[in-house]
Amino acid sequence: MAELTSFSFRSGTSLLHRLDVRFKLLFLILISLISLSGDFPRLGIFTCLLTVLIINSRLPLKSGLKGLQFFLILLLLILGARMVTTPGDPIIEIKFFSITRQGILSGVLICWRLTIIVLLGFAFIFSTRSFEIKAAVEWVLKPFAFIPGKRIATMMGLTTRFVPVILNQANETAEAQRARCVENRKNPVYRLIRLGIPLIRRTFERADKLAVAMEARCYNENRTDPELSATRIDWMALVVMILICGLVVSI
Amino acid sequence: MESSNQLRMMVYASLFAALTAVGAFVAIPIGPVPIVLQNMFVYLAGLLLGSRWGLASVGVYLLAGACGLPVFAGGLGGIGRIVGPTGGYLIGYLPTVFLIGKISNRANPRAIFDVLAMICGSVALYACGITWLKIVTGMTIAKALVVGMVPFLIGDALKIAAAVAIAKALRPVVRVSGYEKLS
Repeated sequence: MAELTSFSFRSGTSLLHRLDVRFKLLFLILISLISLSGDFPRLGIFTCLLTVLIINSRLPLKSGLKGLQFFLILLLLILGARMVTTPGDPIIEIKFFSITRQGILSGVLICWRLTIIVLLGFAFIFSTRSFEIKAAVEWVLKPFAFIPGKRIATMMGLTTRFVPVILNQANETAEAQRARCVENRKNPVYRLIRLGIPLIRRTFERADKLAVAMEARCYNENRTDPELSATRIDWMALVVMILICGLVVSI
Repeated sequence: MESSNQLRMMVYASLFAALTAVGAFVAIPIGPVPIVLQNMFVYLAGLLLGSRWGLASVGVYLLAGACGLPVFAGGLGGIGRIVGPTGGYLIGYLPTVFLIGKISNRANPRAIFDVLAMICGSVALYACGITWLKIVTGMTIAKALVVGMVPFLIGDALKIAAAVAIAKALRPVVRVSGYEKLS
């Protein structure tokens, strides 16, 4: 996946890297929910917090922005739509459209909220190993007896394992078809079918082999769990976080 | 035998979750807008795996995305994407795959039920997607329809047509528990 996306784990020793993954998930959800309904002062506080964390953990913002270009285009579209459609005091009028003060304010507000949420996700992936995420999922699902948490964690592991396999297979199939002049076929349904059938069929054969291999090695859901341990830093971070969130909500 | 069957279905469901993730990146370049394969794989998960394991597959995909594994379109995962403006489409995959599995997964699969199932599924998908787009961005419903549905309709029709043919070709290959009694 590393060559596919710029969003992946990078090792480091910053505060974000040292926090326990369960606490990070909790903070992520907490801040996302609050900023979804927040207005300017609340978002301001979260932005300050996020800036400190980003600088502290040396987040590679430049490569991140490159990967986020589609998201940025979407943000611009939303901003434009809000500016034109919200009624209020007009600032600039061009024939049929009038850009209003209220429209600009609400557009900026919405874009700001979404940017904060996306940057949070970026910071989380950047500082968390995937096996830690798997362990956290098992831990979260443990109290729900009716959800097979261990099976879900294994399936998530398998899914991330399958992704590069499928990508390679898709590239291989596409190359083989290009060599046979598939580009002369303009019928999109034909192209979809010709790409879909070999791709799914071959990856299913791989999956079959994998299932047999797992069975042969006595795959069982009763196995030793990875250990997660909360340290003093985590509890301190939790207290600070609750204080900040309390402050933000009470504004 | 029962447990080995379950293990195979589990691996298949993970495979379809991975296909859904990859589908966001694999596109067929035709015309000005490339056709992205993602929702075709979701349709196929419903058609080939049935409602229960299809649901598991999409659930695992969403959970992996929510935990921050880079599986969503654009490469960035995280809970932010699910509560973000396009999150309704992601959540909408759940009822979509369930409906498709329920309607099409009968003892004697026929193309007409497959098409019907996928049309019902995409209606459910757009209902979730558009509603959420409207709530988060505050657009009017007409505007949300124009931005979030109209541009994709032709592509969806093509994908449904292709998915029918692919499902027909692959059902004998994919040994899914429900279909085993047939052969």
